[in-house]
Amino acid sequence: MKIQIKNLSKSFGDLQANKNITLSLNSGIHALLGENGAGKSTLVKIISGQLSPDSGEIIINGENIGLGSAKDSIKNGIGLLNQDPLDFSNLSILESFLVGINENKPFRKIEIIKAKILDLFEIYSIDIELSTKTNSLSIGERQQIELIRLLYNGAKLIILDEPTSAFSLDQKKMIFETLKKLSDEGIIIIFVSHKLDEIFEICETGSILKAGELIESIAKPFDSKKILSKMFETAEFHKTEKKYLERVNKFKIIFSKSDLFYENRTDFVKDYTFGNVIGIAGLQGSSNDKFIKNFFSNEFSETRILNEFGNPFKIENYYYMPADRLERGLFKDLNLLEHYALAFSLNKTFLDWKIIKQTAKNKIFKYNIKSNLNNSLSELSGGNQQRVMLSLMPDNESILLLEQPTRGLDYNSANKIWEMILERKNNDIAILFSSTDIDEIWEYSDIIFSVSGSKIMDISYKDNLTKETIIKYISGLV
Amino acid sequence: MFDFDNLKINLIRLILTLLIIFFTLIFFGISPFEVFESIIYGSLSSESKFIRTLMVWAPISLASLALIYTFSAGMWNIGIEGQIIMGAVGATFIARSFLGEYLISPYIQILFAMLFGGFWGLLSALLKVKGNVHEIFSGLGLDFVASGIIIFLIIGPWKRDGIASTGGTDLFHKSSWVPTIGSYNFPLMLILIILFLYLISYVVLNFTSLGIKLKATGINVLATERFYFKSDKYIIFSYLIAGSIAGIAGFSQASGAYHKLVPSISGGFGFLSILIVLISSKNIYFSFILSFMFSILIVGGSQLQIRLGLDNSIIGIIQATFVLSWLILQRIKIENKILQKISGMFYK
Repeated sequence: MKIQIKNLSKSFGDLQANKNITLSLNSGIHALLGENGAGKSTLVKIISGQLSPDSGEIIINGENIGLGSAKDSIKNGIGLLNQDPLDFSNLSILESFLVGINENKPFRKIEIIKAKILDLFEIYSIDIELSTKTNSLSIGERQQIELIRLLYNGAKLIILDEPTSAFSLDQKKMIFETLKKLSDEGIIIIFVSHKLDEIFEICETGSILKAGELIESIAKPFDSKKILSKMFETAEFHKTEKKYLERVNKFKIIFSKSDLFYENRTDFVKDYTFGNVIGIAGLQGSSNDKFIKNFFSNEFSETRILNEFGNPFKIENYYYMPADRLERGLFKDLNLLEHYALAFSLNKTFLDWKIIKQTAKNKIFKYNIKSNLNNSLSELSGGNQQRVMLSLMPDNESILLLEQPTRGLDYNSANKIWEMILERKNNDIAILFSSTDIDEIWEYSDIIFSVSGSKIMDISYKDNLTKETIIKYISGLV
Repeated sequence: MFDFDNLKINLIRLILTLLIIFFTLIFFGISPFEVFESIIYGSLSSESKFIRTLMVWAPISLASLALIYTFSAGMWNIGIEGQIIMGAVGATFIARSFLGEYLISPYIQILFAMLFGGFWGLLSALLKVKGNVHEIFSGLGLDFVASGIIIFLIIGPWKRDGIASTGGTDLFHKSSWVPTIGSYNFPLMLILIILFLYLISYVVLNFTSLGIKLKATGINVLATERFYFKSDKYIIFSYLIAGSIAGIAGFSQASGAYHKLVPSISGGFGFLSILIVLISSKNIYFSFILSFMFSILIVGGSQLQIRLGLDNSIIGIIQATFVLSWLILQRIKIENKILQKISGMFYK
């Protein structure tokens, strides 16, 4: 199979997301790199038929394929593995294969289909019963099965859109092995990511996108310095060591014994000073996000944050930011301005749009959000949506509860976001965040809670820990 | 916050829709010009006809306004018919009481119409919020219950002396009629109330935090909590407001159009209003205009039979063609391109 992409362009309003992209592939694992908003997702969506380009063509084995139709793309052997598994969680594996089968036959011999699936499972060493319900599998297993399903439907080109952001280390290993096998079989793989280490591990060639243009083609051996300087304006992000105020006020966290790993423990209280950053570490699928949410909604456990006299804080003192932006965080059909109206004039009966507009402009500038005030949130890129979420933090003294605050952001953006969060150490009560990225936890936390499954395994100041001990705790090894 | 681009797009869409209706009529072998002329003649050509149109417009515009609130909160308020009916029942209750002979009666009727309609709306909301019953099912159910109640009242406790027929109750005392002025009975009070409600709603929906919270609730219930408000509360609000306004529509029907309570008091205007609000995408000024257009269609349509010998059902075809082509045009978004072409022509 040979795929040629010629002069693809696509714009949304004033924003040119893809500009004359030309690319030709015939084998191997190809990386698609670029910072947030560089146009990776748009390109992927065009190739997989979810978006139709303004101009340009895609040629497969010498033939022009129809653009803008997901059905045509599948017929032409293009398969897309989404960032989050897009399967039917309440169906069994076999049933989800049956739903997705790309044949126009009213009746099917299930035994034949079963045999075919099992053959593929054997080749890629997957050992799961076909009657297992999809929702009882881990995210990694689900993605693996989605991969097999794409193969079953005749995919010759598989696109993975940031597939590992939801994976644990083991799951990542599993998927990478499958990918290498697929590549050996002659299947072309496009691997979208901004994690350079992953790309160096499995890709042979790559393209760097910047502001919608394909600016550089790269191949093994990769030169990380050069790639970084092409992706971002500056090669390295200069971290400035900042001094933060010494705070004296204290708050308490009361830990419920049912959340703790050791069974004979009782509830206990710890005092912390204001301005501390508490990282809740855990693997994908652990309850670390739930602990964050629980401090806001009190529905998961009895563990609570209290003020120094042991009384709860007011609900307005909390700012809770969920990991899934559009599902629980934002209003996709409200525009940016209306979000600021919601966040910053809550207790007023009448809205003063002039003041709201001014606030909005300041926030957009401060948080570097690339958007118009009248754009609805669904029109923004993922990175911009994340920045909007952070920009909605109240200005007053708060307890920030951030679920995976830099999920889906590239290195540069994540650093900038953290600079803004850390600035708040000087006037916030506490900053709690969850992450599955040990480096992020290690880099920014003062205090670390290690969570395995639904239990807190360890509560320590960072000074008393090493990265290795955290990994041990979150893997459930004590 | 007045969105002129949106208005322009809507106007172009309106012209395109009228063109489609035009060709649909030609397809049926009917002259569109004669039909349009008859409709305008039947609805606007004299003062009395205009006032008839206004009396149809009143309940439709009110029901549409009511629905803007519930649609904003993401609620498919199918129960709007029931809320209109209960409003009419509330109005009739006062008109038939000792108050009915006093000139203050219409004002108290409005209050009771709002109470009854609002209560009926509240039932849907509570079933949704507390009972987790989908609002379409509860609304439909409550519509049936309201229809049952009205028939029970008409042939039961409120039956005419001697006869119990579904023809309706006795006529209200004249003091209980919607107050009018002039020899053509212009319903000034009703019109002022409608204009007032539209104005207030424009402010509420665009310039208050209630308006924006309703809108937010309608888009993503799950995200409201982290902005420190409870979506349930705003769903209930929206139903209370919608039910109360729909109640006034019921009052207008009972004391303005029929001067009595009849079984078909809502006239199907609630369902029609659902279409209007869908077409206008909850846009307040456009709902205002569209409800007027639909009342012209309804009143003028009665002339088709007399003047052209056409069956009244042609109005149904026009309405349906209008709604369908509107929704299709909205989906394919052709207006933007036309708008760009037009402005391109001007700048050359």
